[in-house]
Parts: sequence; C-alpha cells; structure tokens
Amino acid sequence: MKAALRNNLLALCILALGLTVAGMAYAQTPAASAPPAAPPAPVPPATAELREAAAKAPTTADLQKGDPGGVITGTIGDVPAADAKAGVTLADAANQIGQNKVAINFVWTLVCGFLVMFMQAGFAMVESGLTRVKNANHTYMMNFFVYGCGLLAYWLIGFAIQMGGAAGNANLGGLNPLSAEHGISLFGKTWGLFGQTGYFLAGTSYDVGVMVIFLFQMVFMDTALTIVTGACAERWKFITFSVTSVIMGALTYPLYANWAWGGGWLSQLGTNLGLGKGYCDFAGSGVVHAVGGLTALAVCMIVGPRIGKFNRDGSANPIIGHDISAVLIGCFILAFGWFGFNPGSTLGASANGNLRIGTIAVATMLAGCTGTFGSILYMWITKGKPDASMAGNGLLAGLVAITAPSGFVSAPSAAIIGLVAGVLVCVSVAFIESVLKVDDPVGAISVHGTNGLWGVLSVGLFADGTSNYGGSWNGVTGNVTGLFYGDATQLAAQLVGISTLLGVVFTLSFAINMVLEYFIGHRVSAETELNGLDIPEMGQLGYPEFVFRPEPVLAAAA
Amino acid sequence: MAASKSQGRYFGVFLVGSTVLCAGIAYVASGTGKLLLLVGAAILLGSLAGFLKIKALEGETALQPSPETMKWIGAVVAALGWVVTIGGLHFVDGNGGRIVIALLGIGVTLFGILYVLPAAFNKTAFWKKPAGTSARPGLTRMAGKVTMEQGFTPTPTAMESARMESAR
Repeated sequence: MKAALRNNLLALCILALGLTVAGMAYAQTPAASAPPAAPPAPVPPATAELREAAAKAPTTADLQKGDPGGVITGTIGDVPAADAKAGVTLADAANQIGQNKVAINFVWTLVCGFLVMFMQAGFAMVESGLTRVKNANHTYMMNFFVYGCGLLAYWLIGFAIQMGGAAGNANLGGLNPLSAEHGISLFGKTWGLFGQTGYFLAGTSYDVGVMVIFLFQMVFMDTALTIVTGACAERWKFITFSVTSVIMGALTYPLYANWAWGGGWLSQLGTNLGLGKGYCDFAGSGVVHAVGGLTALAVCMIVGPRIGKFNRDGSANPIIGHDISAVLIGCFILAFGWFGFNPGSTLGASANGNLRIGTIAVATMLAGCTGTFGSILYMWITKGKPDASMAGNGLLAGLVAITAPSGFVSAPSAAIIGLVAGVLVCVSVAFIESVLKVDDPVGAISVHGTNGLWGVLSVGLFADGTSNYGGSWNGVTGNVTGLFYGDATQLAAQLVGISTLLGVVFTLSFAINMVLEYFIGHRVSAETELNGLDIPEMGQLGYPEFVFRPEPVLAAAA
Repeated sequence: MAASKSQGRYFGVFLVGSTVLCAGIAYVASGTGKLLLLVGAAILLGSLAGFLKIKALEGETALQPSPETMKWIGAVVAALGWVVTIGGLHFVDGNGGRIVIALLGIGVTLFGILYVLPAAFNKTAFWKKPAGTSARPGLTRMAGKVTMEQGFTPTPTAMESARMESAR
C-alpha cells in the first residue's frame, strides 16, 4: 500500500516537473524567435497635445461638483477613443469632428423639416378661413388628410422616384445608398429620368442619412399637395381628393422634383449643355409651389366654379370667407414655417458655404415683407382699401417667389422680388377669375402657381454669383449667376424649367385628373354643394352651434 | 350620394392595390416582383371599376357637359410647347437662340392652358346661354338664375369689389 502511494506521488512529481519544464520551454520559444523589440515610435506632436489635454481634463470628481458656468463640460474626455488604453488619438479627434459636422447638419435639417411640417396648420387655417362656414370641416379635413395621403404615397414610391439617384450630398454624409438613377441617352448625352432606390425605405436605404433627407423632402412634397385643396375647396369630392393626392405624392411631384433636385435632366442642363449651373431652384418655387399651383389650376378647371360664383352676364360674385382672423394667423404660421423651408434647404449648417443660412433667412423675411407691401399698396391705391385677404396672399406670394432664389440673391434683390410678387398676385387673381373664369376660393393658383414661376425666373435674373448652391449640387463649378450679373445662360436653364412646369407638370396633372373625372368624378352634387359639404361629405358640421341662413337657391327651388 | 361606405371600401382597395403595385415595382427584377406588379395593377383596376360603378349613384352636379375633345386638344397644345422648347435645345446652339425658342415654347403652352382649355370648359357655361335655356333647366336655375348677390352676400371687400368691376 505504502509502495503504491509512493509510486503515485513520484509519478505526480515527475508529471509536475515535466509540465513545468515544458511550459517554460513553450514560453521561451516565441521570445527566442521574436525579433528584437523596436524602439518606441516618436509621439506626433498633435498626439502629444491630445495626451496633455487628456491629462488636464476635468476628473469625475471635478464634474461631480457641478458645472454652473459651463466651462468644464465638453472636453477631450467626451471624445470616444477607439482604443481606450491608447487614449484619444488624432484619428479619433478627426472622426469626431466629421461626425459633429454631419450631426449638426442632421439636426438642422430635421428641425427645419419640423418647421415645414407645421406649415400644414397654417395652410389649414388660411384655406378654411377663406371658405364658408358650411364647408369648414371639409376644408380642414382635406388639409389634415392630405398629410397622410402624401406621406403614404411618398414612402411607398415617391421618395424612390425623386431621390433614388441623389447620392453625393456631403452635408448629410453622402447619401450613398441612393445611387441608382434611371437615365436615357438623347442627343449624345445621358439624361436622368427617375430614381430607383429607396422604395419603402427598405434594404440599403435603411440608413440614417436617407431617413433625414426623406423627412425633409416629404414635408416639402406635402406642401405642394395641400395647395390644391384650397383652390378646389367647397365643391370637391373627398374621395377624389384622396385618390388624386395619393397619385400626386407618388408620381407627379416626385417626377419633377427628381429632374430638379434628384440628379435628373433639368439639373444636368449645365453639365450636358452648358446652360448656367443647370436648372437651379434652391428651395422649391418651381418644385413645390409651381407644381402645386399648376396642379391646382388643372383640377380647378375640371371641377368648375362654385354655384353662385358667376352671374348670367359672366361677372364674378364675391363669396366671402368665414374667418379672416384664421386667415391672417395662418399666414403668420406659414411665414414662420418658411424659415424651415428656405434656410433648411441648405441641408446643413456646418460645411463649406452653409453659413449662408443667415442671408437666406433675411432674404426670406424681406421678400415676405415687400410682398405684403406690394399687395396692400396695389389694393389701397387702385381699389381704395388695404384688403386683408389680399394682404395675406401678398405675404405668401413674396415668400413663394423668394423660395427659389433665396440661396443666390442679395437682400435688395430679395426685396425687389417680393415686391413684384405682391403686385403680381393681385393682378393674377383678377385675371384668373375674370378672364379665365376659373374659381379659386383662396387664390392658391396665383400665390403658388404664378409666383412660383416668377421665383424660378428670378433666379436667372437676380442670382449675384456669390453662392454655389445648386451649381455644386448639379456638378458644375462656379457660382450661380443671373442675367443682371452677366450670365444669360442661367436664364436659359430657368426658362427650360418653366417650360417643363407648364408643358409637362400641368399636362400630366390635367390628364391624370381627367381620368379620375371619368372614373370617380371630382364635383359633388349640386344639392350637396348648396347644403354645404360638412354633413354630406364629413358627417358633421365644423361649427355645429352656428345658425345658418338659408341658401337663396334652395329657397328658390322650394 | 356624398361620402359613403362604398367609397371607403373602394378607397381601401385602391390603397392596397397601390401598395402591392409599388412593391412589384421595387422588386421588378425578380419573378415575385413581376407577379406583385400584375396583382397590384389588377387590384387598382378593380378599385377604379368600383368607383365607376358607384359614380352613377351621385346626384346631378352643377357642371354642364362640355366638349371633351377640345379639352384634350388643349392639353396636347400645352405639351407641344414643351416639345418646342426641348427641340430648341438640340437644334439651336447659341444661348440667345435657345432663350428665344424656350420663350416660343412657353408661349405655345400658355396658349393651350390659357386659351384653348378655358374655352373648352366654358363653352357650355350657363352665362353663355340665353336666360332660361339649358340642357338641364333645373340646374340652370340653381347655378345661375338665382345667385348669391341677391341679398345674401355681405358687403364685398375692396378686392371683391375690384374683381366685380374688372369683370364688368
């Protein structure tokens, strides 16, 4: 027994010894084969400074005491290091700077998008205020539901058509997933027609930058859609409005927006034909407002004038809106939202040239101001009263007109553009009503259509060559310069854009809505129209406690 | 009829069809995509057929029938102006010439929009007919003979007065 125990202990000792020797040998083998250790690399001065800054950074104990003056919060200690042991390196600092730039631009673009979204409330108030009480619920509901219809359609396909080939914007990190633009070869050049990535925001477009541009572009699209609801108010079937809004958000708007902003053929007029810096529409006088205004004209023609608008001799009757206070407050909401519309269209606040946001904001303010003056003075001088509804329309007209040139013009030019717009809207309202016999209850065709076209044209006239927005986005070097500053080629590009708006966008909208007229019909029945659309179309009154006077036509029919 | 359950149902079908169609377009390269495209188109056509079926239930509108062909001619003229502009880009080299051609194209388009189309839509307007004559006299009475200015309209604003003056 003792012998067996002794043998086992001996075996264990031998095993332990063997393991120890083997382990020592294994441990020594690499060391023996490894090259001699290299001398430590010299620390770059910048890295040395970073280490020094890290050493001086406030400790956790310092921060626990609070920082009422805001002088120790936000230091090198907040810069994430790829290797915690090595500390913050120059590469870490550079990466953080890049991310900060993109982050600033993300926040800027998103907040501006939120402002534009709030414009829907302004549109709802303006349009409903300019219509009669009996149609208030219907008009508000159109403004409410157009948001959903447009958003759904834009998410499904509209965004892909518009921005599917819009990769390359460095402000938002490159937008690299949006890299497929379908084009055709014509006259020896390739021209973009529509984008092909971004459907449903799925697949590769599940990307932070893509989400930001989607939100921003979506609210722009919705602004265009809601213009139509005002022009066709008080006699438009809710079902037809819903269907046509989906189609406009899916096709009409995104198509033109692609041509102008998504790398399409209008933006290539500079690179392909040498027309200025290509078609330039900074924030959408053409893309948003003219598209909405011209579509409104097309639908307004089809849906026809309201009962009682025109007399047997062809003259027009005034049909007064029910709430001028809502109209003017709505205009202020819109003017507020326009600070998202125009300055936000830089798509960034931090990068080369983006500090122009201040200039753009001031140009926006000024044009709105002079637009108001233009319309008030026109009405006051020619008609004797400073008409309130036209004053509101003058403000909006100035804002619409400055939307395209706001990134390219000086403050005095902005003031002139707005002043012209203010007068133009008054003339246009009278022309559309009295000559064309088109009934536009809120003046949307004049505010957005006429002045949208004026805004596009004014880029080709007033761009002063100090800004390259549009030019750089369109792949052309040099600043955008208009006729008055020595470059007539930009004017040619803008005229091609106007021709496309009138010849393609209007015609396409007209054709689509003529088809809908056949299948669904745009106009409510005469009985519904006379009773007001609130009950027949929406099921409840906008103002149920109001007492309505009988409509004259009903009295006559009785 | 105004808004109805049928309208809501067919609008729902329209949205489903649109979604399926868009999914088909998104994945059109695959067999499934092509199938979805066809199914979506079929659903959309079904919704349009449904809309057409219930359209007859609507009451009579205040609109008079107007010449359809003339409307489409107006639209074609509008589109033709754009073709002129685009043609000018190719056939004319100088910038001045391109501007002139573009203006010409815009002029043609405006002729279609501002002259041909309003003429088409207003051809049968009640103010172009002698009093008391209409294809649908009931609607004529409702839409034109008795109008809002007869004691039911508040005092017009300056703008509205201006519109009335200019119309006269």
